[in-house]
Amino acid sequence: MEIMTISQISPDQVIFWQWKFITLNATLVYTWLVMAILIIISWLVTRNLSDSIHCTRWQNFLEVVISTIRGEINEISKGEAGHYLPFVGTLFLFIAVANLLAVVPGYVPPTSSLTTTFALAICVFIAVPIYGIAKQGLKEYIKEYFRPTFIFFPFHVMGELSRTLALTVRLFGNIMSHEKVIAILLSVTPFFFPIVMQALGLLIGLIQAYIFSILAMVYIASATQTHEEGHEKTEK
Amino acid sequence: MHIDWFVFSAQIVNFLILVYLLKRFLYGRIVQAMDRREGMIVSRFEEAERLRKEAENLAALYEEKNRLLAEKQEELINQMVQAAEAKKKELLEKARADVDAIKSRWQETLRKEKESFLQDLSQRVGRQTYAIARRILAAMADEELEERMAKVFIRKLKETSAEEKDRLQEAVKQSGGRIVVQSAFPIPEPLQKEIVDIFADLIPGIKPELRFEILEEAVAGIELRTHGYKLAWSIGDYLENLEETFTRALVEEAHIKA
Repeated sequence: MEIMTISQISPDQVIFWQWKFITLNATLVYTWLVMAILIIISWLVTRNLSDSIHCTRWQNFLEVVISTIRGEINEISKGEAGHYLPFVGTLFLFIAVANLLAVVPGYVPPTSSLTTTFALAICVFIAVPIYGIAKQGLKEYIKEYFRPTFIFFPFHVMGELSRTLALTVRLFGNIMSHEKVIAILLSVTPFFFPIVMQALGLLIGLIQAYIFSILAMVYIASATQTHEEGHEKTEK
Repeated sequence: MHIDWFVFSAQIVNFLILVYLLKRFLYGRIVQAMDRREGMIVSRFEEAERLRKEAENLAALYEEKNRLLAEKQEELINQMVQAAEAKKKELLEKARADVDAIKSRWQETLRKEKESFLQDLSQRVGRQTYAIARRILAAMADEELEERMAKVFIRKLKETSAEEKDRLQEAVKQSGGRIVVQSAFPIPEPLQKEIVDIFADLIPGIKPELRFEILEEAVAGIELRTHGYKLAWSIGDYLENLEETFTRALVEEAHIKA
């Protein structure tokens, strides 16, 4: 029950409904599915949380996930996980769930759409200066673009743009290509081998989610740390 | 590559909505729950630490109390031992004193018994000796002996001192010349006459009335009696003297031995 043909690169091309410029394609539908899954599970589990040592397995699982994410963010941000957890954590959870659901037949990861990855990369692109300015102030943040000298400004700007592009394309390319590889493999060797590739796909999906969110965190951290802090850090 | 800008903006909105919802339903709650649990565990640990310290303090307190109790116990035991020693000493002293008293009493009794026995013995011996002597003399005594004894008596009379003579004269005067001469055997006539003559010489002016009596219990010897005056010569006297001396000597010896 594949809804995409091999020739279709992106789930954006699978359009369910359209009215003028408003399109309801597979990307949006599966995004909503992932969102729904995340929100429903969160709501169900956190409905009656337990403070005591005994808690449900689901709560335990979510606590493990959240505390792992917090730990990672803490390592990069020097102990300010509280500010960045919603943004970075959501990036990770959304991308991870979107990728992991790829084992479900008929599902197409929304991350295999360039539109989605670009939207996420733009979110990071916008979030970085927001966090940076919130932490250091506008002046200090702008100053960072002119260090060590003003000549570096264009390079900084190019860096910002290119890393956004890199985020977009890395995630899209990995997931999309994997989808295509599996689709092709299924038509070539329908037995066993695609299973291995699916398993590999799960790993790749998780790694990509990790890479995307960690990079976002690194960008945020580099924008929020002052020049002196950054200098100290490199000296260390 | 085609980017659908509607989908792009929709995805951004979707993402922001997801961020908001997850923040509301997931991170906030989970983090709060974890913090609360962490706080609870910390407080439990603190409570446990507090209780542990309390227990340690209590343990130290009880250890101290135990130590004090042990010390007190030892002290009490020492006191008791000392008291028991003192009591033992006291009882021993008392027992010794009692024993001494009993011993001295016993020794006293023994001494008295010994004394009385020795006294008794000495008396018996004396009496026996005296009796033997008396018996021997009685057996030996005859008229010849008597006569010689009378002669000795007459000589004694003759040899009396002037003072003695005065006392005798006085006594004879008082009695009106009555003089009794006692002896174990009858004195022969010539000797009787000689005695009368002696008295006639001795007391001039008074005619003495001499009466000669036989005295059975006298062993041997002669006795002269007049008003409150007595002149005697007899073996009985010697024997009495001997008995007295002997008894005294025995009693003295018994005293020394006791």
